[in-house]
Amino acid sequence: MVTSILDIQHITFDSSVTTKDEALQFIADFAKEKEIVKSAKAYYKGLKKREQEVTTGFKSSIAIPHCKHKTVKKPALMLVKFANPIEWESMDHQPVHMTFALAIPEGENQEHLTLLSTISRALIDETFTKSIIEAATAEELHATIQNKLLAQSD
Amino acid sequence: MSKKKIVGVTACSAGIAHTYMAAESLEKAGVAKGYDIKVETQGSIGVENKLTAQEIEAADVVILAVEINIDMTRFAGKRVLRVRAAEAIKNPEALIEKALNEAPIYGEKGTKAGVAKMGKTEEGGFFQHIMAGISYMIPMVIASGLILAIANVYAFQKDDAGRIVNWGFDTSTFMGDLMSNLFSVGQVGFLLMIPLFAGFVANSIAGKPAIAAAMIGTYIANDAEMLGAEAGGGFLAAILVAFAAGYLVKGLKKIPYPKIIQPIVPIMLLPLVSTLLISIFVLYVIGNPMASMMDFLYEGLTTLNENYAAAPVIVGIIIGAMVGFDLGGPINKTALVFGTAVFTDTVAKYGIEGANFVPQTATQAAISVAPLGIWLASILFKKKFSPTEKVSAHSAFGMGMVGVTEGAIPFAAQDPIRMIPAFVAGSAVAGGLAAGLGAKFYGGIGSPLGTFVGYIEQPIPFVTWIFSVMTGVLVTAVIIGFTKKKVE
Repeated sequence: MVTSILDIQHITFDSSVTTKDEALQFIADFAKEKEIVKSAKAYYKGLKKREQEVTTGFKSSIAIPHCKHKTVKKPALMLVKFANPIEWESMDHQPVHMTFALAIPEGENQEHLTLLSTISRALIDETFTKSIIEAATAEELHATIQNKLLAQSD
Repeated sequence: MSKKKIVGVTACSAGIAHTYMAAESLEKAGVAKGYDIKVETQGSIGVENKLTAQEIEAADVVILAVEINIDMTRFAGKRVLRVRAAEAIKNPEALIEKALNEAPIYGEKGTKAGVAKMGKTEEGGFFQHIMAGISYMIPMVIASGLILAIANVYAFQKDDAGRIVNWGFDTSTFMGDLMSNLFSVGQVGFLLMIPLFAGFVANSIAGKPAIAAAMIGTYIANDAEMLGAEAGGGFLAAILVAFAAGYLVKGLKKIPYPKIIQPIVPIMLLPLVSTLLISIFVLYVIGNPMASMMDFLYEGLTTLNENYAAAPVIVGIIIGAMVGFDLGGPINKTALVFGTAVFTDTVAKYGIEGANFVPQTATQAAISVAPLGIWLASILFKKKFSPTEKVSAHSAFGMGMVGVTEGAIPFAAQDPIRMIPAFVAGSAVAGGLAAGLGAKFYGGIGSPLGTFVGYIEQPIPFVTWIFSVMTGVLVTAVIIGFTKKKVE
């Protein structure tokens, strides 16, 4: 189940983005490319709207942009690691380097929501977040997260 | 010192991420500090790790890290600190310390628990009780009113030329018999609805033990025969009796009864004592004034009618105003009885040529103004009517069209200060216009339809009558539009 939501294909690295807006746009395009959403524009708007409600910037250079939107075809977790520091109005006022982007389709999907809540809880663990930030490759990231989620769901 | 117990609830607007982050943060920080902590999450998955009543009860403090409105009632009386979900993620340790040291007790009058202000809702209040009564009365008003209206339409017997010659049911035919019975059914509803209303007003004030006294008392107050009066007290008397019964029982409840009889206090003692006292109050205190008032009004009308026979407008206005005042109560009844009496007396004495039509014409012109005025107001001023009120207003239309004034009672009982003046003004205009313009009401139905269903002699056929009634309706509707409060 965990592997179904975190596909190693959904992990990417970027070095061009410098602002939050560009980051959201990048995530939306990435989601479209991976066929997670029908429309990049609609997903971008959904993410943006969620950010306007309250920032998803978190601690330890991590942000979790997310939204529930009808354009989402399948629930997914995307990891984007940005080379440039991005201002995200985060809680510790530190720029963001890593985003856990969540795409949630409309309607009932308890299992995915449960998984997302597990991820959210995992991000509180500072050793975990530190190892994510330090991970250099997609494989390394994937393994770190898999291990953590499996441990957490026990 | 035993472990401090902390409970919390987290919820964010999306219910996807922050809810769980905040819960995790609080749990970690709590455990790290050596506290006993449990956090309920209200996310899009639903409620997880739900706090039980015992856990809330045992907790030293409640932390709510929430961005949406949650049910606060279960935390009444507890020390509660309410913050945004993000604060619990940012600095959970400080938040827990702050809660333990500073959280105010939730639910005390005027306390603010974070963003949610909770003033203790004023217990009681005149309108809250009235509204409680109305909400129970409305289904009965609508059901019986419409049955009465249907039967009423059938009661107008026409001659070969299509003119209404008689009001009544021809019980020799099946339909006539059925309609006659339906008419009685509707009347039973009207008979019951006022005591029902009073019963639930009293119930709202003092609970079940007050229902008996209020219902029985109101029934008697509306039974002219028992009171030895010409008419019952209508809904104004019902309000009086209901409040008297409610506060009497509320007072009786405060007496410290010996433990041995306590079990029978609410089911036997309170209903018995209050019903006795209220019934006697109605019979001997309200009954006589009602009879005297009827006499007084009747005398007054007679004098007026004799002195101002040449000024039908004045008589018409006064009679109309009386019809709109208490919608079936003693003042309304006085006007109706007077109108019919003057007509039949003068017809008997002077024949149809010399008959005095003024009071009867005015009562019939005014009779549908209140319910139709309510209906028109609900069309013109939609924002001022709640969905329930709109339903009531539509059924008031049905009743108004066949001359059933009682359709307006729910509105008058709910807001007498604003409604009654509007009803009185519109009814007076209708009564004054119809009488002043020289309409002569022979028989039929007292509504704009009366010009078709009935026999009304008028200077301009059809138009005079409809104009008089509808002008009154418009006056009532406009006044309601200006005075009625907007729906929250």
